[in-house]
Amino acid sequence: MEILGNIIIILGIIFMLFGVIGIFRYQNFFVRILIASKIDTVGALTVVIGLAVKHGFSFFSLRVVLLLVLMFIINPMVTHIIARSAYESGQNIDGSVDDIEEGNE
Amino acid sequence: MIYLLLVLWLFLAFCIIGEKRNIRIVIYLCVFSFISSISFLILGSPDAAMAEAAIGTFTGIFFIICFEKHRELRFNEKNASVFSRDEDPPDIDDERAVQALLKLRKKARARTRGKHNAKSILQRYLAPGLFSILLFILFIVFLPGGEANPYLRNQFLTQFSEHVGGENAVTAIYLAYRVYDTLFEALVLVIAVVAVIHMSYSSDILVKGGKPSHVGQYVVVVSVLRVICAIVLLFGFYLIMNGHITAGGGFQGGLFIAAFFICRYLVYDIYDLPITKVIRMEELVFLSTVIFAVLIVFLGTINHLPPVFHIVYMIVMNFLIGLKVACGFLILFYRYIAIERR
Amino acid sequence: MYILWAMLIFLIPYLVLIVRGPTVWDRILGMSLVSTKIIIIVIIFSSLNHLDYLTDFAIIYVLLGFIVTFFITTFLVTRKKREK
Repeated sequence: MEILGNIIIILGIIFMLFGVIGIFRYQNFFVRILIASKIDTVGALTVVIGLAVKHGFSFFSLRVVLLLVLMFIINPMVTHIIARSAYESGQNIDGSVDDIEEGNE
Repeated sequence: MIYLLLVLWLFLAFCIIGEKRNIRIVIYLCVFSFISSISFLILGSPDAAMAEAAIGTFTGIFFIICFEKHRELRFNEKNASVFSRDEDPPDIDDERAVQALLKLRKKARARTRGKHNAKSILQRYLAPGLFSILLFILFIVFLPGGEANPYLRNQFLTQFSEHVGGENAVTAIYLAYRVYDTLFEALVLVIAVVAVIHMSYSSDILVKGGKPSHVGQYVVVVSVLRVICAIVLLFGFYLIMNGHITAGGGFQGGLFIAAFFICRYLVYDIYDLPITKVIRMEELVFLSTVIFAVLIVFLGTINHLPPVFHIVYMIVMNFLIGLKVACGFLILFYRYIAIERR
Repeated sequence: MYILWAMLIFLIPYLVLIVRGPTVWDRILGMSLVSTKIIIIVIIFSSLNHLDYLTDFAIIYVLLGFIVTFFITTFLVTRKKREK
């Protein structure tokens, strides 16, 4: 059981590593947020599943599964909110930086 | 491990100092509170960590609302000033008179400065210097030598479960040994709420049908948030009820109950709670907290009660503090939002 | 133990993203990434030290991070629409 858990956790860490590389590689914001969703959703969920498998069947893993359900609903939603509000407030899709003016006060 | 976190912490602190744009500062502040919370947790104080996480996000929300309101006000002023130009200041014809006046003023200032210099060194620096030297001597003389006095440590840390009950020593300390601290913290929050209400006074506070905002426009998010709303409220009550066993307690649970109303605003775009009744309720809850604490702890009745009632006392006290904190933050949030939309 | 170190080292590029990122949205994205990472750190810490009650913290971070991100993004969009 422990070996299986460790393998799943390492898989999650590899997902996160790809995400981090992708964030710093591309210039377009929408490509970046697409890759960042790999970290936020896939990597995090895989690591948490691996931890629950590693612990076996106990009270702790029950709580972790409850948390997993919450994260499964919320984390894609956060990425969706950020991407949609960026699009609605005038971030160009073709990659040219049209930053929303932040107010210099 | 903790050193890496502390280095990141300091790095973010210097970023906050060097930055001038408001939204960036709010984002840095949220991340700063997250990182400080996790380092508190690793250093071994879960109660402070929980309070820090809740406080950091709440201050972020309040700062965002305030900046938006300030920006809107400035935007309106800039548009208005195009139509009504200010008049030029009146010219002064006689230059000689002005220069004579300036000379006189300069002389008077120099005279007062000369007088000031002689006395001010004595007045400003001598007395505090003497006082600090005296304090330092006292500190050295009465420095406890040898073994530390074990009485307080024993009383606080090993006998709290006999005296008060419960499993969390922090809750036992802030509800029994140090209950006056808790009362004064509640008083500070009351004063802050009163100050905000009086600073932001306006007669039409709850305007209905104001400017339409974009809260409640995202269909997917809102339908998810409608479910999460209930989870937030339940979790707040869970934190309050389990305050004497786990980390958490009145303050954190109260913040979560206030977060439920923020979620409600985000979902339905309404803020129609009768705010005067909420203010009255906060005062009553604060009064009952003080009376309850005085009756049970200050008069010493807790020593004569059987140990089951100790846990009842802690739950009731946590519940009262939680209600009070929730009412206070709710009033602050409604004030800010209503004025922002005015 | 190796997971804890991996998560802590992953915090550094996110902070770089928050401080350097060319747009506001990058910073908000970095904030949500940091909050997710901290949830995983809390769970790992509680499983290493056998402290079950620390999973409450993870739920707190999930809920509060979501609320704050939603608030900031909606206010930014509202401002942009108002000033157009």
